[in-house]
Amino acid sequence: MGAVLESRARLAAVDADAAGASEGRGMNIRFKIMSTLLAAIRADLRRPHAFAHERVGFIAAGLAAAHDELLILARDYRPVRDEDYLRDQSVGAMISAEAIRGARQWAMNERVAIFHVHMHGGRGVPGFSGVDNRENARFVPNFVSVAPHAVHGAIVLSDTAAFGQVWLDRKSPQPFITRFAEVGMPIRNWRAA
Amino acid sequence: MTRLDRQSFLGADSNAILETATIGIVGLGGGGSHVAQQAAHMGIGGYVNADPDVIEETNTNRLIGGTLADVAVSMPKVSIAERLIRGLHSKARIISVQVDWRDAADDLKRCDVIIGAVDGFKEREQLERFARRHLIPYIDIGMDVHDLGKKGFLVSGQVILSMPGAPCMRCCGFITDERLEQEANRYGAAGSRPQVVWSNGVLASTAVGLLTQVLTPWYQNPPKFVFLDYDGNKGTMTRNARMELLRDHVCPHHPPDETGDPMFDIRKQSFRPRPAAAPEPARRWWQRIWNRLSGRGET
Ligand SMILES: [Zn+2]
Repeated sequence: MGAVLESRARLAAVDADAAGASEGRGMNIRFKIMSTLLAAIRADLRRPHAFAHERVGFIAAGLAAAHDELLILARDYRPVRDEDYLRDQSVGAMISAEAIRGARQWAMNERVAIFHVHMHGGRGVPGFSGVDNRENARFVPNFVSVAPHAVHGAIVLSDTAAFGQVWLDRKSPQPFITRFAEVGMPIRNWRAA
Repeated sequence: MTRLDRQSFLGADSNAILETATIGIVGLGGGGSHVAQQAAHMGIGGYVNADPDVIEETNTNRLIGGTLADVAVSMPKVSIAERLIRGLHSKARIISVQVDWRDAADDLKRCDVIIGAVDGFKEREQLERFARRHLIPYIDIGMDVHDLGKKGFLVSGQVILSMPGAPCMRCCGFITDERLEQEANRYGAAGSRPQVVWSNGVLASTAVGLLTQVLTPWYQNPPKFVFLDYDGNKGTMTRNARMELLRDHVCPHHPPDETGDPMFDIRKQSFRPRPAAAPEPARRWWQRIWNRLSGRGET
């Protein structure tokens, strides 16, 4: 919906049973971010690294509820520092325990929702790779355990859109973000699940 | 040709964008009723209309869509807006909240844009803060009439676009502690403020133009912060000098770490669908007269 009607073709296999409100606790999830912040994140993630194949970072967000909708309202972004990437040929980027500790601290101290973010490039709504799914499942619960009052998750960006998944706690199924809104002039909305 | 063909220059997808958009209109009096009417003409699909009041005779000099018959049955202003919108867009998604907007927070949180046509600086500031917390662009309109003594009266007003991250109504000096204090001291003593239909129309039309810029890719890089002054005596709408001065200003009043609900806890949150708004029952003439005679109003 909105400015760009994105193709969902690449997601058919992923979101077949996610069907919006039927998943999770019967909620719809909307992720909102200012276009200036999103542009800064894309620019940061595009910077080449000495040996890592891709960059990653963390988005902190505030949360609000509106009827059956969970609103994730992006506040700020922190890149992973160059020295916090580890040499590992098996994945695009491997980051140190120190980097994860820093992000966990952020979640605890400021009571924020933390979203791991990386980028695939291309146009339209992206999707998680097999490695992404495996890593997210290992990685995101780190945040759930230190900041259980918030939700946490992972987001993958393309050049024009985004896709993401949310951990509500340690046990519930992890719903996909239903809608994204990029708040700028003009506002861009797209449906991702 | 379809109904909206003549506005297709707004962009290839503009009709779909406008149809899927939901706007909040807070205050459905002289300013807000114009906004509701124009938004419906443009094909905006979703509305959260908030106003606790019913129409009174003194409103009929400016309340668009309101009639003397509505006065006779004390029709809620939100019901008049709903009727006005349905006349142009029968399938519009309308949530009419005849309560203070603060009691309709869940509905307003889901809006793409909020337009405030309210009296008072305090209420404006609260509305702007609410919008910022939820990353919602806020458009404010207001008019005033100043007694210039021997020179007569000055009809004036302003339209402000307050985007998250951009300068706010405090940054631009429209809301100040002094003004809030003055307003608080006058509270209760203020008489009815003068209002006229044509200046409300100019301000509301300007706001709808900004709303369109926020929603559709109509032209490249429109300003994110807009502060326009209306001089009804000269008949001009001019850019306030602060619009240029504050172009790259970072607002210190609404920092990014204020987004969301500060007390939010997912473990305590229940997510329930909004109760379906009951369709407004068609009131028969004898019901309306009965309500009127029995002093029940039309709530
Ligand atoms: Zn400010």
